[in-house]
Parts: sequence; C-alpha cells; structure tokens
Amino acid sequence: MRWRFERRAAPADAALAVAGANATAIALALLLGGLLFLPFDVAPLAAYADLAGAAFLTPRGLGYTLVAAGPLVMVGLGTVVAWRSGFAYLGFQGCLLMGAVAAAALALAAGPDWPPAAFLPLAVAASFAAGAGWAALVGFARARFGGSEVLVSLMLNYVAALVVQYLVTGPMRDPGDLPQSPLLPHATWLPPLASGSGANAGVFVALLAALAVWWLLRRSVLGFELEVAGLGARAARFAGIDVPRRIIAAAGIAGGLGGLAGALEVLGNQHRLLDGVGEGIGFVGIVTALLGKLTVVGAVVAAVLYGGLGVGGNVMQRRAGLPASVVTVVEALIVLLVLASDVLLRYRVFRPRRQG
Amino acid sequence: MRGITKRFSPASLANDAIDFDVAPGEVHALLGENGAGKSTLMQILYGMLRPDAGTIRVGGGVVAFASPRDAITAGIGMVHQEFMLVDSFTVAQNAAMGRAGAFDLRATARRLSELARRFGLGVDCDARVRDLAVGVRQRVEILKLLDREARLLILDEPTAVLTPQEVAGLLDVLRALRAAGCGVVLITHKLREVLAVADRVTVLRDGRVAGRVAVRDTDERSLARLMVGRDTGPRIAKAPAVPPASPPVLWVENLDVAGRPGVRGVSFEVAAGEVLGIAGVDGNGQSELVEALFGLRPATGGRVALAGQDVTTWSPARRRAAGLGYLPADRRHVASVPELSLADNAILGAHRKFSRGGGWLRDRAAAAAHARALAARFGVRAPGPHFAAGKLSGGNLQKLVLGREVEREPRALLVEQPTRGIDLGAVEAVWAELLALRAAGCAIVLVSAELEELLSLSDRIAVMFAGRLVGIVPAARADVAAIGLMMAGREPASLAA
Repeated sequence: MRWRFERRAAPADAALAVAGANATAIALALLLGGLLFLPFDVAPLAAYADLAGAAFLTPRGLGYTLVAAGPLVMVGLGTVVAWRSGFAYLGFQGCLLMGAVAAAALALAAGPDWPPAAFLPLAVAASFAAGAGWAALVGFARARFGGSEVLVSLMLNYVAALVVQYLVTGPMRDPGDLPQSPLLPHATWLPPLASGSGANAGVFVALLAALAVWWLLRRSVLGFELEVAGLGARAARFAGIDVPRRIIAAAGIAGGLGGLAGALEVLGNQHRLLDGVGEGIGFVGIVTALLGKLTVVGAVVAAVLYGGLGVGGNVMQRRAGLPASVVTVVEALIVLLVLASDVLLRYRVFRPRRQG
Repeated sequence: MRGITKRFSPASLANDAIDFDVAPGEVHALLGENGAGKSTLMQILYGMLRPDAGTIRVGGGVVAFASPRDAITAGIGMVHQEFMLVDSFTVAQNAAMGRAGAFDLRATARRLSELARRFGLGVDCDARVRDLAVGVRQRVEILKLLDREARLLILDEPTAVLTPQEVAGLLDVLRALRAAGCGVVLITHKLREVLAVADRVTVLRDGRVAGRVAVRDTDERSLARLMVGRDTGPRIAKAPAVPPASPPVLWVENLDVAGRPGVRGVSFEVAAGEVLGIAGVDGNGQSELVEALFGLRPATGGRVALAGQDVTTWSPARRRAAGLGYLPADRRHVASVPELSLADNAILGAHRKFSRGGGWLRDRAAAAAHARALAARFGVRAPGPHFAAGKLSGGNLQKLVLGREVEREPRALLVEQPTRGIDLGAVEAVWAELLALRAAGCAIVLVSAELEELLSLSDRIAVMFAGRLVGIVPAARADVAAIGLMMAGREPASLAA
C-alpha cells in the first residue's frame, strides 16, 4: 500500500482545507524569505517576532496598521464589487487620485471654520462621486462600445496621475518649492480615535463601507443582479437583467470606493495633495482582494494583514538592519504563494484501500 | 478491460468492477443512459482518466496509459462529440498535425485519399474543414484516426449531430471498418443504431454492467429494459390539438437575424394550445431564431408579435412580463447559474418579484420557499434550497428550470432541446409537463434535434435549413424520410416532383 497522489474531480472547498492551504503558503513564504535574512546575520524568528509585535501588538503600531489598511480596504472592496460583477476593472489608482483631488479641494475651500461633523460626510460624498464618475466612464465605454475595461482603465490611470501633477504644479500649488498643495486645515483632518493611537476615524469609514458592500451583495436586488451578470452574462440576459446598465452601476460603485481610498489617504495620512499620493495602493488593493478570494471579509482581512506587513516590515527592517528590498521580497512571496496555494486544493494524497 | 473501477466522490462509483472487451472486426455497442458510466469507462480506455482499480490489456499485454498519447500509440483512437479539428486548416493539414514522424503534407494527403477510397469515406483532402458539413467532419475525424493506424476506434455518441441520411452513411462506414478488421466501440443511448450495426452490446446502468448480449439474440424492448431497469411505458399519448379558433398567440413575419447562418425570412404563427416543432440539424439557425424571439438577439428585419402586440424591439424582461417563457438549450449556463443556489436559480427572471422594501431588498425566505415548492411540484431531487444548482444532475436541473417557467403560466413558451442529455425518467417528466402546458392553452415552439421527440409532441413540424424554413408539415402526416430530406435542404416541392 503506497501513498498515491491524484487530481480531484472538483477542488476541495471546505473552509478548513482553504485555511490550511493558505497557512501552508504563508509559512512557506516566511521560511523562504527567512533564508534571505541569513547573509545579514539576522535571526529570522526574532525578526518576524519584531514584525508581528510592531504591526499588531502595540496600540500605536496597530493604529498605523489600520491607517495603512484603510485605503487598501476601500480599493479591495471596489475590486470585490467590480470583479464579481464581471467587470475586470484595474483603474483604482485613477479613482483614488480623483477622490484625493475632490477631498483636498473641498478641504481647502472649506477652510478651518467648518465643523468636522459637517465636513466629513460632504468629503466622503464628493470623493465617492469623483471616483464613481471616473470609473463610470470606463463602464460606459465597455457597455456602449464594448471597449476593454482592462486597457481603458489602465490608460486612464496615467491620465489621472497627470491631472494631479498639473493641479499640484499649477492651480492648487502651495507657494514654495515643492509641487504640492498647501497643508489642509487641521479641522479637516480625520480625527484620531483616541489620543496616543495612530488610528483615525477613517477606520469607521472603511468599516461602514465594508458593511455596505456586504449588504449590497448579500441582501439587495441590485447585488443579486450584479452577481448574476458576473457569473454568467448570458444567464443574466436570459433573466431579463439589463447587463450594460448593471456594468455601469458596478463600475460606479467600485470607482466610488476607490475614490474613498483617496479621501482616506489625503485626509487621514498626507494632509495635502501631492504628486504620487497613494502610489501603488490602487494595485495593491486589487491584490489584497484577490488574496481574500473576492469576498468582503476576505478582502478586509487581507488588507489589514497587508497593511500590518508594511508597517511591521519597516520596523523589522530598521531594527534588524535589513535592506528594504528584502522586506518587499517577503511581501511578494506571500502574495505569490497564497495565490498559488489554490493548486493544493485540486489534488489529494491518499492510501488506496485494497479492493475485495 | 477487467474489473475497472473509478470513484469520483465517496458517495458514488462511476465505474464499478466493469469488464469490457472488443475483438478485431467487431462493432461493440456500449449502451446506457446518461450518467451510467459509459464516458468514464471510455475515457479510462483512452488514457484521459486513470482507473482506481482494474487492468487494461491491448493485444495481450497489460498497459497503463498516462495520457491519450499512450493510447494512440497503442492503436486506440477516439472520436469525441466535439470534433477536435482546426476549422481554418484543410483536411490533410489537420491529419498531419500532431502525427508522429516527419511533417509531410503531400504524403499525408496521398495516404488519406487512399484510406478514404478504401473505406468509402468520400472526403476531399484539400477542402478546408470550415467548409465541410458536420457529417463530413466526423468522417475526417475517423480518417485521421485511420491514418494514425488505430486498430480500435471509440465513437462517442456519433449520431447526435447527424441527419437520418448521414446516420445511415456513418453506419455503412462502421461496417466497412469492421470488414477491414478494426474493432469499434459505439457509445450511444439509441437502441436502433445498436440493432442496426453492432455485433455485441454491453449495457451499463449506474456504473455496473447490466447485461451483455449478442445483438442477434435481442430486441429493442429487452435492451430498453436492461438500460432503464424496468419496463418502459407506452409512448406519451397526446390529446388532439385545440382548434386554432383565436388569433395566434405568437406571430412571426419575415424574420431576419444576422449571423451564420442566422435566420432568413422566417414566418410562422402558433396558436394557443398548439406545439410547433422545429426540426433541423444543429446549427441551421434554430438557436438564433428562438433567441431572437426572446429578445436576446436583435432582429435585423421582420416582425414578431405576442398576443397581438408587436414585441419586435422589446427587451427580454418586457417580453417575459408579457407572458413569454424560454427554456434554453444550455440549461447550465443560460437557464441557470451553476454557482448560485437552487433558491437563487428558482427566482431567476422573476427575481424582482421576490423582494421587499420597495423592490430594493431581496426576500431570501420567499425565494427559498419558492424553490422548495418548485422542487416538490416538479420532482426535483435535491438536498435543499441552498444546494448549488451546478451540482444537480442534468435531468433534475432541467425539471427545475422548466418548472420555473411553467409556474409562471406563460402564454407562449420557447423550448430548445428540452431533453438533450437527460435520463429517460426525466424525459418522460419533461414531456408530460410540456403537454400539460399545451392542454392549458400555452403556445409552444419546440426546437429539437430528436425527430422522435418532435413527432411525439408537435402538432405541426417546421424544418429549418441554413436559416430558412424549408417547409411546415402536420405532425400526424409527417414522414421521417421526408423530414430528413428537408433537414438536408430539399424543398418539399422537389420531393413531390
């Protein structure tokens, strides 16, 4: 009786199997990444302990982790909505920038006198609308003309980056040397959750958004239609669902969430509009959503872990004296191996029983 | 093959200790309903699956195929239901592709012509595959295997896509192969073909051998009993049609739909309580026609009216609201969403009715109750409303999606290949349901590739070829041979001449 290895007829989908595969992947990534620490005379276990401690175990560190995770959660939620609706949108970087512009412009116009309770809802609405409009352009191009949302949204990312560049070197420029807007009035910053904690009210915005998306997909008729359109466009048309309109709706909602990511970044983190604000978040957020298997809970968990990896990685790197690139390699290994771990679910290892 | 066992899930054995053999110069039919294990057994023989237990011998020696490549080397070839041909290549190019040895088109063409002549295959080796009829493509597949010196040919449901005349031609080819000493495995669920051409027949039921007999010692009745496991009842009896006194429910005039072949100038009308059958070989515009009737494809010309209203430009949702139902051929990806639950699929198309809060919120409880009621009324065997629809068997899924349309009491129902690939029990249920709907005064358009189904259910039969209606005949006076010729494009007038 030998062990045998065989392809499954259908991938294993038990929660335990999925969690096991992911845990195996993360452990393997940390192990492989740890090998890279050895030339620098750094003990991997101690370094990882530093990372986890700094990112999740101190109130201050956890606060920074949550601030870093906020925009990722937003982009991740946007990805969940768009991709589950069959709209492979990649333009979250552009939406983020548009949302950042809207939030910054509103904050500068509002000045120091507005009460935060009035400003914040308005800023959320404005940046959501800016991101939604930006993405709906792509949705319209796809729905009306059959344009590829992948190409159009990627190209529009460059347009958005150039719009920001123009604004911070021109109309919104702070008199001075650097191409950036003036510092936003203090009253418009996202208020901290508690003194001494790095976290701010953006955590609530992200949490509310996650609840809203979960509700949309699980409980609303619109969410049902989006889901059906994403799973099978032909079945959706058969069911009388107006697929082009639903695509534009999905694009708008997803883009709006991307715009909120920009608001969180500007109002909660940078406190001004500058060239390259939120660099990379629009793509890392897509990755975290994929790591979370395009579920709301998965995307949020993955975004928080990823945010912590960034925060803790910085600390680990400073304390242990590792090059920054090593930390980036560990991050990338985790992403790659978790995505690749799906392959484990397609096979099984077993001992055949003797036939009677 | 001895003691072949294959298990896909702990609950079910796809093949349970099956013995099977083919001699040179023999046509051995493998008969069984869908899901009986025919395809699994042959995929194991062809190296696509590996058995959990059992041995395979070819010409005396035990073999273990890791892939179809090994099977081909051992002289085994398979003609799949979906042809494995490159449309834009010629016949010779297709045969030369993937063949061991030097790539020599001219030599391949020479060999093919020789083989085609020897076996009476009638294939032009320089023709491009995309220009060939389905029946000819099938012969190209056979030719390809012969060129690879296959001694055993496996044909998987080869007649499903053929006209009656093409079927006769194929059976002649099989006889020629037998005469040349090849072994042939004919996978089928059609009894007549078995009796017409096979030497022996093995009947599979639920993954086991239900019986193996020489064809000369058996008849249609006993084979059917072996296959189903009980006596099959008499053919469905239908009441005479309600005379079309009222104006037609569905009215189509000069309908054009773009496509190849698309639909060209089709006109017909269907009265309440009438079934109009549409016969034709797959791919002659039937799918385009029903999709256009349902609003899934735009009409490029002509008009469609439903109960007196011109609906030509209406969306599917609007046509549904006006009382039109549709049972598409692709029940897995058009009629249902496999990833979603039974409850979600049960409300598909009427999902806005299962809502609260002014139509914004889903009413999941109502959807689940609806799914339970549908399952109970239409005999859908499923663990519960939250079971994924994609895990249902074809017959159960079909009962669910048909039940969903029936429940809405449509004025007119478009039905496309309602019994393709489902087991006999489900076929009877689907037929009974359609006839009940007809008795209730629904106008039904039934597209099917199964002549027997059309003859049993229809009041009139229209035949489509290359996007046109060749003719419409009353089912009571329909003659299989005449319909077969119409399916090949011959006008009824030229038949009379």
